[in-house]
Amino acid sequence: MKRSVFYDFIKGFIEENPTFRLVIGMCPTLAVTTSVVNGFWMGLSVIFVLVFANVFVSLLRKVTPDEIRLPVFVILIATPVVIVELVMKAYLPAMYEILGIFVPLIVVNCIIIARAEAFAFKHPVLNSFADGLGIGSGFTANLILISAIREFLGTGQITVGSFRFPQAPLFEPAAVMLTPPGGFICLGLLMAILNVLLARRERKMKAQAV
Amino acid sequence: MTERLVVSPSPHWKTDKTVSGLMLDVVVALMPAVLASVVFFGWRALTIILTSVSSAVISEAVYEKAVKREVTIKDYSAVITGILLAMNMPPGVPLWMPAIGSAFAIVVAKQIFGGLGYNFVNPALAGRAFLMAAWPLHMTRDWLAPGFFGGVDATSSATPLAVLKGAPGGTLPGIWDMLLGNRAGCLGETSVIAILMGGIYLIWKEVIDPRIPLGFIGTVFVLTWVFGKPGALFQGNAIYHILSGGLFLGAFFMATDYVTSPVTSKGRLLMGIGCGVITVLIRLWGGYPEGVSYSILLMNLVTPLIDRAMVPRYYGWKHEARKEKTL
Amino acid sequence: MIRTRALSGGVHLDDRKISSGKPVEFAGIPPEIVLFMSQHTGAPAKPVVKAGDHVLAGQVVGEAQSFVSASVHASTSGTVKAVEDRYHPILAKPSTAVVIEPDGKGEIWEGVAPGSDDISTLSPEDIIKIARNAGLVGLGGAAFPTAVKLSPPKDKPIDVYLLNGAECEPYLTCDARLMVEEADEIVFGFTAMMKAVGAPRGIVCIEDNKPEAIMAMEKAISGKPGIELCVLKTRYPQGGEKQLIQVVLGREVPPPPGLPFDVGVVVSNVGTAYSLAKALRTGMPLVDRVVTVTGAVGSPSNFRVLLGTQVSFLIEKAGGYTGEPGKVIMGGPMMGVSLPRTDVPVLKGTTGIVVMTKDEVNLDKPLPCIRCGRCVDSCPLRLLPVWIAAYSDRGMYEEAEKYRALDCCECGVCAYRCPSRRPLVQSVRLAKQAIMEERRARAQKVSG
Ligand code: SF4
Ligand code: SF4
Repeated sequence: MKRSVFYDFIKGFIEENPTFRLVIGMCPTLAVTTSVVNGFWMGLSVIFVLVFANVFVSLLRKVTPDEIRLPVFVILIATPVVIVELVMKAYLPAMYEILGIFVPLIVVNCIIIARAEAFAFKHPVLNSFADGLGIGSGFTANLILISAIREFLGTGQITVGSFRFPQAPLFEPAAVMLTPPGGFICLGLLMAILNVLLARRERKMKAQAV
Repeated sequence: MTERLVVSPSPHWKTDKTVSGLMLDVVVALMPAVLASVVFFGWRALTIILTSVSSAVISEAVYEKAVKREVTIKDYSAVITGILLAMNMPPGVPLWMPAIGSAFAIVVAKQIFGGLGYNFVNPALAGRAFLMAAWPLHMTRDWLAPGFFGGVDATSSATPLAVLKGAPGGTLPGIWDMLLGNRAGCLGETSVIAILMGGIYLIWKEVIDPRIPLGFIGTVFVLTWVFGKPGALFQGNAIYHILSGGLFLGAFFMATDYVTSPVTSKGRLLMGIGCGVITVLIRLWGGYPEGVSYSILLMNLVTPLIDRAMVPRYYGWKHEARKEKTL
Repeated sequence: MIRTRALSGGVHLDDRKISSGKPVEFAGIPPEIVLFMSQHTGAPAKPVVKAGDHVLAGQVVGEAQSFVSASVHASTSGTVKAVEDRYHPILAKPSTAVVIEPDGKGEIWEGVAPGSDDISTLSPEDIIKIARNAGLVGLGGAAFPTAVKLSPPKDKPIDVYLLNGAECEPYLTCDARLMVEEADEIVFGFTAMMKAVGAPRGIVCIEDNKPEAIMAMEKAISGKPGIELCVLKTRYPQGGEKQLIQVVLGREVPPPPGLPFDVGVVVSNVGTAYSLAKALRTGMPLVDRVVTVTGAVGSPSNFRVLLGTQVSFLIEKAGGYTGEPGKVIMGGPMMGVSLPRTDVPVLKGTTGIVVMTKDEVNLDKPLPCIRCGRCVDSCPLRLLPVWIAAYSDRGMYEEAEKYRALDCCECGVCAYRCPSRRPLVQSVRLAKQAIMEERRARAQKVSG
């Protein structure tokens, strides 16, 4: 059965949402989601790397010997990571300062290696491209969602460039939300909510099917 | 036969002590401390306590309604969480803090894990830790000098523990002031006598096991006496150490929380001693002036391990035989 | 005076011995006698009469088939109506019974021959034989065949014999009354028991809430060498065999299959001693016993009851129900069995009938365990009921076994004290059943 390219794209948002469903790529999720801007750039970098790596892994999957596939993956992943790193250093030095070590660390981000191993290595290029784009976008969406919540609660407003919402904090910000424990709490709650909603939907679908 | 008889497994008698009865005992035992806080910090203390309690009870009811669980606010456990959390706050905090803290304690630390009996840390302490991390300034700066009934100074003043640790501009209150509660500190930390009254009531009513508070306070006493003074052994100001901070409150009311303390008596003694050791470590060598609540939280986390390790010697079993045959 | 040790755990109960002042009276011959073939621990007896037979009091109607078993005797004269399955109150299922319609004459079987008033003329074997022929079992509740108890293995010398008059269950007063009224007979039977097992020392153990019984027994044992009295502080479940040994002697019986023999002790109930005395003197087998009928009845009483008498007959005799009955318990409120119906007969092990009104019946719903540790603190065997029950409730019986579910004596203290009203004993019992079944299955596999 040929998989629908569209499904491979869309599944990254809910069904195979990397953060909440597959629970992979946790370190950047917790580390960089202190502001929406950080989350956005981090997400973008991951999309680029993921798509790049997925496409090339898929292209080379027929000629890659099984025994050495992991080193091959790493090379295929490291290449776009270096590209991202250099580009970011050149054009967004401030952002590079903030994301710091987490950009080079994308090399070992388990989302990417996992998609290469579990998907791209077994599927045609187009599907792999869609998968990379979908999972990457899902990941980015998560980062933005989490960082929006954390930034809002932790600083009292959301700041994107010179745009601030609301103009002045409405309440006394809770510093804890910017710390790793705050990240864990936020992540845990979101995960719980998503799981509850999915379980409910499943139950409804089952009830309808019967 | 005309009679319709109930058939149920033995025993056919049950104590009249129920969960809500036990919890109500704890609420009663907390009353002297509540009263003392009102005496020393005025009506403001009462508003903090009431806000905290109502927020706890409302959060519990709303959450349980939302997830369609049976609403259990009648077991008083949320009331206790509310009071304990309030007792852990400086008298000068803005009112939204107890409200948020209680909601966090009930929803995140207790209900999400399944409600009473399933939470793995003490909800009130989790709430306090959250507030401490979120708004540290309010939690560590809004001290008030005590005064009788509303005669509260708006100046902030250093707590005895901070003074012991060398905070500038503070003098130690006299022992009597420490005992009665005439000193700066959290609402429930001040009056040792009031807390002791409640604690003794609980022990007398067999609600709590004295091993935890005694082990806790005893350990702190001994360790601070031995190591309390830098550079000299056996010269520490142990009396001040046990009377100050939240030690009595924590030892009698929070470390003894059923759900998060071990079930065996040996285990409870270990729990008390463990809390004492961690408290002293934090107080003497840690970054915070006070370590009671973190010590209890840490011991909460190892409670399941203590439960596994501290199994009593079963009747008729030799020690070696037990080790072979059980765990 | 014997220095007693503390009982592990346990609980002080409101003892409600409302019938303690009532002398034992004969309950009378009921319209129907139902004698189960299984009234004791061990293999059921085999019926040796058939419908239509005429039987006399003391005549064997069921014969013991193996070592651990006990014969059953007709408790009065009459005609055998049927040998059929009846609802058994303890097994909670139908079981073989001999049903007798009494003729009201109470004629005694010719096989019942007066025995001896002098124990010194009897050898231990004689005593054991008399106990066996009398179908005697422990009358404290467990109904373990007395003859087996009196024959400890040769390699386990017995140095102490405990006579159990603790009667720690609330409400029950049958043993206390017996001690007040028949102290000399009890001591007579007890002396024979000591002789049978070769125990040089005997201790009569009574809880301090029975001052009259203590006085009577003190008088009866005075001048009897080797017999002492031990007064215990009232605490449940001190009347349990293992608990009594711990409290009085400071010894601990090894876990099952360990028995009191293993620590050189035998324990018997005062009622058993009394019945043995009767069998020795008159040759009359075990055909009646003292039963306390109490609780929400018109006049709580102690009756001498012919075995096989129906519970409803006894309740009528005790003045009927007061208030709407909620529960009728065979045995005490802590370890007794609640009856679904009252047309069931008194068995050899029935110590009492306790009636509770509707209002007294606790119907609270169990709440989640709050880990208060009360069950742990109060378990007399120092088990961890909270874990055994938790594993049992989740079907993890192997884990429950590791926490020694099989040691539990079902005393009920844990469930009594649980503030969450958890049915701990029930959970432990389920675990025990599952573990035993598993073992049987394994044994079968090995042998097959
Ligand atoms: S019923 Fe069993 S587990 Fe419960 S207290 Fe008694 S012996 Fe212990
Ligand atoms: S007594 Fe009941 S609530 Fe307490 S620990 Fe035991 S089972 Fe749990």
